[in-house]
Amino acid sequence: MMKRRDFVKQTTFATGMFFIPQFLKAFENPTVHPFSQKKLVIIQLKGGNDGLNTIVPFRNDVYYQKRNRIALQNSDLLKLDSEFGFHKSLAPLQKLYDKGYLSILNSVGYPNPNLSHFRSTDIWQTASGSEQILQNGWVGRFLDHTKSKSYNAIEVDDALSLMMKGENVNGLAITNPKAFYASLREPFFNTIVDNTIDPHLSEHNLGYLYSTMIDAKSSSKYLFEKSKTKSSRADYPKNNFGKQLQTISEFITTGLETQVYYAGLNGFDTHANQIGAQARLLKTYANCMEVFVKDLEKSNALDDVLILTFSEFGRRVQQNKSMGTDHGAANNIFIIGKHLKKQGLYNGLPNLEDLDTNGNIKYQIDFREVYATILDKWLHVDDTTILNKHFSKLSFL
Amino acid sequence: MKPIHVLHLYNRVGVGITPKELKRLSKKSKKKVIRELFENSKNVTPISVDISYLEGVKQKDLRDSTFRQKLNMESRKKITEFSTLWFQRILSPKEILREKMTLFWTNHFVCQNNQIQFVQQYHNTVRKFSLGSFGDFAKAVSKEPAMLFYLNNKQNKKGSPNENFARELMELFTLGQGNYSERDIKEAARAFTGYNNNFKGHFKFYKQQHDSDPKTFFGKTGHFMGDDIIDIILEKRECAEFICKKIYSYFVDETINSSHLNEMTNVFYKDYNIENLMRFMLLSDWFYDDEHMGTKIKSPMEFIAGIYTIVPFEFLNPKQITVVQRVLGQVLMRPPNVAGWKTGKYWIDSNTIVTRLRLASILLNKSAITYVDEEDMDSFTERMQLRHKKGKQYFKIKPDWNTFFTNFDNYSNEKLQEHLILSKMNLNTKEELSHKEKLPLKDFCIQLMSLPEYQLC
Repeated sequence: MMKRRDFVKQTTFATGMFFIPQFLKAFENPTVHPFSQKKLVIIQLKGGNDGLNTIVPFRNDVYYQKRNRIALQNSDLLKLDSEFGFHKSLAPLQKLYDKGYLSILNSVGYPNPNLSHFRSTDIWQTASGSEQILQNGWVGRFLDHTKSKSYNAIEVDDALSLMMKGENVNGLAITNPKAFYASLREPFFNTIVDNTIDPHLSEHNLGYLYSTMIDAKSSSKYLFEKSKTKSSRADYPKNNFGKQLQTISEFITTGLETQVYYAGLNGFDTHANQIGAQARLLKTYANCMEVFVKDLEKSNALDDVLILTFSEFGRRVQQNKSMGTDHGAANNIFIIGKHLKKQGLYNGLPNLEDLDTNGNIKYQIDFREVYATILDKWLHVDDTTILNKHFSKLSFL
Repeated sequence: MKPIHVLHLYNRVGVGITPKELKRLSKKSKKKVIRELFENSKNVTPISVDISYLEGVKQKDLRDSTFRQKLNMESRKKITEFSTLWFQRILSPKEILREKMTLFWTNHFVCQNNQIQFVQQYHNTVRKFSLGSFGDFAKAVSKEPAMLFYLNNKQNKKGSPNENFARELMELFTLGQGNYSERDIKEAARAFTGYNNNFKGHFKFYKQQHDSDPKTFFGKTGHFMGDDIIDIILEKRECAEFICKKIYSYFVDETINSSHLNEMTNVFYKDYNIENLMRFMLLSDWFYDDEHMGTKIKSPMEFIAGIYTIVPFEFLNPKQITVVQRVLGQVLMRPPNVAGWKTGKYWIDSNTIVTRLRLASILLNKSAITYVDEEDMDSFTERMQLRHKKGKQYFKIKPDWNTFFTNFDNYSNEKLQEHLILSKMNLNTKEELSHKEKLPLKDFCIQLMSLPEYQLC
C-alpha cells in the first residue's frame, strides 16, 4: 500500500491540488486488511481482585487457616462442585457458567511477579516480562500490526491507557460519542480542521498534529453517526461500569469495525475490611456482566464476542490484620463467550501449600499465553509478532 | 538579541515570556541574557508542605495497621497538596531554568512513592542538583528513600541481590541500552547492597547486609560500593553522550545533529557539570537555528504553563488541577513507569489533541468539558463506595484578562500572533487568520491558542 505521505506528494505534485480531508478519509477507508468480525472485550478489575475469595476452594484447610477471619463460609458461597464455589455475589455469573459460557483459568500470572499496581498493570497492559519496560501496549501493537484506525480499539474512559497505545496507531478513549462529536463541532474548529494541509508540512510535527486532528474528527463522526442509530434498551445497573458496558454493547450492535474494547471497574485494592467491599464490587461486576451478555445475545452479537476479565494481580493468601489482604501474585481470570472449547474450570485450583517467598500463589499459566491464544485463535492475527515472542496456545478456544 | 531568539530561548528553557521581559531582554547581548538566566537560577527554592504530623512517629508505630492506614491517608492528601504547589511553581517559576531542569530531570530519574516525607525530599534533591554535578546527582538519587523503594534497592541484600536499581541505573539513568552486559548489572547490584533508610528519610547503610567481596565491573576489580560504580560509569564517554542526547532532544531538537551532539559531549565529558553543559548549549549559534524553532511539541505542562504566561488564571477548585493533567496525559508525581513519559509526538493522540485544541476555551472562556470524576487508584481503601459523576462539567477558573490587557497593551493581532506562534504555519490557517485583524484581541488570543500551531514551541 502506498504510504500517505507518498500519496500527498504525488497528488500535489501531479495536480497542484491541495489535499482535502474528505479525500484523505476516502483514501484511508478502503479495507486493506481482511476484516474479522470477531470482537474482544477486555475488563480490568482494578486494584487487584482477591481471586481466592472469588472462586473459593472450600475444601482446602489452608484457606481457612490463613484466612480465619475473612474466609467465606458455606452460607456465603454458591457451590459449583465438591471442591469450589463462587462468591455469592456472583450468582448472575453462575447462570453463564451453567450455560457453558464461562471458562475460569486459575493461577494466571508471570515469573517474578511485581507487587506494585502501576508496574503490574503495565506488565499486563504491555505484555512484557517482569524485568522489561515496554512503552506500547499489546492492543496498540495489534493496531499497528493490522494497520488499523484508532477507533478499531476503544477504551471507554476519558484518557487512553498504555495498553491501547501502539508505535504508529493509538486506540481511542471515548465515553460518550455524542459529546466527543459535539466537542469537535465548534465553528472555529471546523474552519481549522477543514483547512487543507500543506504538503510540505507532512513530514513535520505540525503535519502530525493536523492529521491526528483530522483523524479524531473523522473517527468522532464515524462513531457518532454509527452509534446514534441504536441505543440499547437493556436495563443496565445505574453505575459507571454499567454505563461503560452499555456503550460497548451499543458500539458492537451498530456494527462498528472496532475489534477491541476496554473497560474497567475500580476499587479492588482491599487492604482493609474487604468482606463488604468485595461483595459489593463483585455484585456490580456480575450484575452488569449478566445484562451485557444477555443484551449481546438478544441482538445476535454474542457469537462474535469474547470477554476477558483480569486483575493486575491477586492477593496474599494470608489475610492481614485489618480484615483485608495485601498485594499478591497469580490470580484467576474469566473468559466469557458462546463458543468456548473448554468450559467451567480450565485448570486445577491454586496450590495453597506451595506459595512463593512472599506467600503468594505461584503462576501456572503465563498471562501472555492467554493473549497469544486470543490473538491467534480468535482475532486470527500473528500473535508472535504482536507479543514479540512465541507463547504456547491454550485450549479454551 | 533578536526578539525571536529571546522568544525561542524562553519557550525552551522556560514556559514563554511576557512582552515586557521580551522587550527588556531584546536590548541585551546573548551573553548577557544567558548570564542573567543562570544568575536567576542560582537559588534553590525547595517546595515543602507541612509534615509536622509525622513528628514523634516511630518506625515501630507502623506495625499497628490502623495507625499505618491513617498515616497513609494523610500522606496521600499531602502528596496532592505538594503536587498542587509544584504545578503552581511550573506555571509561574522564579528560578526559570532551574524549574525547567527539575521538570526535565524528574522525567529522567523517574521515581514515585506514596510517603510524603520521601516524595518531598526526593523532589527537592532533584531541584538542588538539577544544574549541578551529574555524578553527585546520580549518587544522591541512589541514596534517596523514594528511589530505594521504587527500584527495590531496599530488598537488595548480600546473598539475595535485587538487580532492579542496578539495571535501570545503567539502562535509563546513565548509559543507555547496549552499553553494558548482564554481568555488569549483577556485579553493580552487589555493590549497591546494604542501602536502606529510616522512616524519617535518612539514608542508612547496613554493613552486615552489604556484600563486601570484590566485584568486577567494566573490567575493573575492587571492593566497590555504589558510589564507586557510578564513578566507573562516568568514566565512559557513552554516559556523557547518553545524557547530552537526552538534553539535546528535549531542549533543541528531537532530530539529533551528530556534530552538535559531539560538541556537547566533549564539554560534558570533561567534568559532568550540568550548568556548564547548558551554558555551552544556550550560547551556541546552532541553538537559535531556524530549523529548530517552533518544532517541538509542547509537553502538557509546557502547554498549560505557556497559556498561563500569557493569560494568568486560577483554579478555584484545586481538584480539577488533577483532572486537567489527566486529560492532557501528564499527571504530576504519577509517571507511567520508570522510563517516564514518552515525549514529542507521543503526547498526542486523538483524545489529547482534541483536549489541547479546546483547552484555551475551557480555561479562559468557560467552555464545557466532559470527564468522569473517578476515584483515584490510591484512595480505594478509604472510600470503597464508588462515586462517579459524569457529564458536562465546567472548570471553575478565574482568568485574569486584566493582566493580559496590561501586558499586551498596544499589541495588534498580528503582533500577538508573532509572540505566540513560532512554528511555521499551515498556509490556509495563516490565510484564515489574516482576515481576523478586526477580531478583538482577547478572542483572537483564544483562537491562536486553539491552533495546532500553538502546540509547538
